[in-house]
Amino acid sequence: MRRRLTLAVVYALLVLFAGLMLTPFAFMLASTLKTKADFVNTLFLPDGDGWLGVGWDRLTLANYRRLFVELPMARALLNSAFLASVGSIFATLFSAMGGYALSKFEFRGREALIRLVLGALIIPAPLLIAPGFQNLWKLGLLDTYTGLIMPGLAPAFGVFLFRQAMLNAVPSELIDAARIDGAGEFRIFFTLVFPLVRPMVGAFLMITFLGVWNDFLTPQVVLQSPDRYPLSTTLAMLRNLDWNDYGLVLAGTLVSIAPVMCLFLLLQREFISGLTSGAVKG
Amino acid sequence: MSLRRLRRRLPRTGLGVMLALAVLTSAAMLFERIPRPAGLQVWAFDPGHVDVYRLLVPGWNRRHPDHPLALNVLTGSALQTRMMSGFLAGTPVADLLEIERTLTGPVFAGPVDEIGFVDLTDRLQREGLLDQINAASFSPWTTRGHIFGLPHDVHPVMLAYRSDLVEAAGIDVTRIETWDDYFRAMRPLMRDLDGDGRIDCYPLNGTYANPSTAEVILLQAGGTFFTADGSAELDSEINAEILARLATWFAGPARVIGDANFGTVSGQQLLHSGFVIGIIAPDFFAGSMTTTLPDMAGRFKLMPLPAWKPGGRRTSVQGGTMMGIARSTPDVDLAWAALKELYLSPVGAEHLFRDRGIVTPVKANWNQPVFDEPSPFFCGQPVGRLYLRLAPEVPLRPSSPYYTQATTYLGNIANQLATLADREGIAEPARLLPRARALLAAAQRDLQAQMRRNTFLARPAR
Amino acid sequence: MTSYRPHPRWAPWAFIAPFVVLFAVFTAWPLLRSLQLAFEQTYGPQTTVFVGLKNFRYLATDPLFWHAVTNTLQFTLWTVGLQVPVALCLALLLNRPNLRGRAGFRLIFFSPSLVGLVFVAMLFLPMFEKRTGLVNIWLHALWPAWSLDFPWFETYTMTALVLAAVWTGAGLMMVYFLAALQHVPAELLEAAQMDGAGPLQRFWHVVLPEIRPVLGLMSLLSFVGCMQLFELSYLMLGDSGSAGGRGFSIVMYLYQMGFTTGDLGYASAIGWVLALFLMAIAFLQRRLARRQLED
Repeated sequence: MRRRLTLAVVYALLVLFAGLMLTPFAFMLASTLKTKADFVNTLFLPDGDGWLGVGWDRLTLANYRRLFVELPMARALLNSAFLASVGSIFATLFSAMGGYALSKFEFRGREALIRLVLGALIIPAPLLIAPGFQNLWKLGLLDTYTGLIMPGLAPAFGVFLFRQAMLNAVPSELIDAARIDGAGEFRIFFTLVFPLVRPMVGAFLMITFLGVWNDFLTPQVVLQSPDRYPLSTTLAMLRNLDWNDYGLVLAGTLVSIAPVMCLFLLLQREFISGLTSGAVKG
Repeated sequence: MSLRRLRRRLPRTGLGVMLALAVLTSAAMLFERIPRPAGLQVWAFDPGHVDVYRLLVPGWNRRHPDHPLALNVLTGSALQTRMMSGFLAGTPVADLLEIERTLTGPVFAGPVDEIGFVDLTDRLQREGLLDQINAASFSPWTTRGHIFGLPHDVHPVMLAYRSDLVEAAGIDVTRIETWDDYFRAMRPLMRDLDGDGRIDCYPLNGTYANPSTAEVILLQAGGTFFTADGSAELDSEINAEILARLATWFAGPARVIGDANFGTVSGQQLLHSGFVIGIIAPDFFAGSMTTTLPDMAGRFKLMPLPAWKPGGRRTSVQGGTMMGIARSTPDVDLAWAALKELYLSPVGAEHLFRDRGIVTPVKANWNQPVFDEPSPFFCGQPVGRLYLRLAPEVPLRPSSPYYTQATTYLGNIANQLATLADREGIAEPARLLPRARALLAAAQRDLQAQMRRNTFLARPAR
Repeated sequence: MTSYRPHPRWAPWAFIAPFVVLFAVFTAWPLLRSLQLAFEQTYGPQTTVFVGLKNFRYLATDPLFWHAVTNTLQFTLWTVGLQVPVALCLALLLNRPNLRGRAGFRLIFFSPSLVGLVFVAMLFLPMFEKRTGLVNIWLHALWPAWSLDFPWFETYTMTALVLAAVWTGAGLMMVYFLAALQHVPAELLEAAQMDGAGPLQRFWHVVLPEIRPVLGLMSLLSFVGCMQLFELSYLMLGDSGSAGGRGFSIVMYLYQMGFTTGDLGYASAIGWVLALFLMAIAFLQRRLARRQLED
């Protein structure tokens, strides 16, 4: 009896917390579907005499229409998708290659490189904002996608994670056996090693994808042409455009959040196990 | 397919989606070219100004079919970021940029020969424009003796007052010369109408929550910001006197200033209720009054500002806008021609006054009939002429990269002195003087430290 | 084991090359440059003047910088202080045996972590608004004395920022805590129960010591992240961090100095001071964690 009571309390608390966590999402979704007048007058959905006492007929898609017809939201969506997918794929590939080199090969300079990777882990991002900008200016890469993508392709964090994963998951004997069979180095990497660390690949793809998608400061500093803006800077521009049109701003926010949510649902299990594997053991 | 198998396959689908996304978007990027903006690009922040320029564009485009003018309205912060990035690091920037005076700080903070705008001093001299444009209007766009923009305005300041209330009380404003006269004359109107122990009518509108009111009065009264060679001069005795006296206007038992903030609904309600008699009104503000308070038409008149001292200046100055040419423009002469087209045009001057109430700094346009038209809002007064008559008296606006910082310091001091006057019930400016001097000295030290850090200001032009 | 075939000598270098080259060009080199920049005054990336220790000397007495430091520290301590207990509570609730729908709840709690801070700012901006904002309306409904015009942004700036930050950060932390809790050996808990330890005692003496390393690491990561406060404040409160700069943060000052005023040198100096502080904190935390482990 007592057991069931505690369980009921646990469920009640969980539902309460879940409600609180979901409230901002619900508020956002409802706000995007309302007119300006209804946004001021009602908290979630407008009252009416439709099903559940909601005025369904008063909902409107005008905010979304404005975003995609009048405002450059479609372009921003494309830019973000491009930057995040290309950036994350190459960052993951380069990290996996680096981690492989540092875990499965013996060569001079290996120890120094491992120490470099560990050292680079503690560089906080703000330190690189100003000198990074100057560097991109010297290379003539300001206001280009190259300048935005390239600096993110060599994350020390990724090399570190893949090295750990490969030390655990990839048996050296297997690699040796493949070499004896005459397999080339890159074939070994792509057909043998890569599949063995698949969970980490999924997790790190998601991490870097999120990182690029949600980044605001770097595009704000590097890009100046609005045609190149990803969602984050476009949305900031939108807010400045019309300070009080929250329905529109929230519609833009929803459009920005939804794609990563979908991607996350696809990669969920690998993502969470990949995230926690390092921290809990180490 | 069973649910179990679906879940196992999801990660593979995730990777597939990611790869497909990368391939598809890359392909789209390969084929999609970002169009190069055509024509002479103009960036501006005020849609109202741009509405006026739109009238002038067809004429220019007819004469310059290869270089049509493209007007772009950017929000203030977007304009600032993109302009600075363009000036400092060479990212794309417009050919002509219209900026508000608060943006000049960062633009003028570097070495004088590396400022992002084209130095117009020689052109202005050569073409005699220095004499054709109201001299005081150049001051905010001048740094270290060089002029970097064409001025958009004069922005003389007058006092808009509730003529209905004042005349009903039998007060003759023509006999008012100084602020003391003004407050003495309006004293009978300062009353607690509903008996709640609070005054319901103040002679003047203003606030110490931000520096704007204090700055207008300081400029009128001859307060000092910077010396001729550009160093800070906040700690002068005249500043201490002005701020101490201003504080007793803002607060304490001798308070004569009420705060009806126009930007808010409650402020406009206060205004309708007659909470303030006089409003410090630059030309653009008088213009916006006619459009934002149409129901108050016929209840306001304009008079020159009461002077700080007998025989003193009867006006002041507030705000300011300029347009300049970016140094990156491929053809400076062409941009210069376009700039003159937009800023010197008689048609533009007429509409700028009609739509926005702003009087032009171009003297040749001053004799247009529009400035003599009686204004229905201001009881038939020829508003344009009234403002223009004050143009020669308008004080210089301090020009320094550290101007915004200086006004912030002065505003903070006005704020602190007013709080003190309220807390200790001080009505005499003399009792606030020592505190004013101490605060100004501290502000001077901080501002000097900030300016000393900037080694570029002292560097001579090459 | 006789037929061993060594890898070609170029192989490891081919694999590590992309990382080494990109790291050198886009991290190592700018990092070295920033050491130089911090001793220069600049006007954009092009115009630089060596000023020696002037940047750091001015920084030490710069009222704006210290204002930003106070704000940022306040934000960080509040956020970490709230986030850790909230995340731990959620993890403990989810860790109950025989709980149905665990995956669903975990997904719900975790989902805010996917939302970037830019978007969090946009999401919370209308919620803290006067009159139309959800927070004021709900508080007013629960407690009628609560004013609908409660000025979150003007006066309770920090509280609004902290609430938004906790919402978005707690779920990620919870995932780590949950993973750590699931690694607590069941035998230990059973043994404690046999000894007659109550749930609180079991948590305090068995569970907590087991998850302490994760707790420490996550607090540190959250601390480091919070000290870099920028997007939330910049987008919710504007360039100057609302009236009186109540939400003005260190990175906002760095951004303003470097990109509005063009002084990349001073911005680098600010960056170095922040970086050294964060590295010192990380170092201290590791020392502390190691000592606890040895005890």
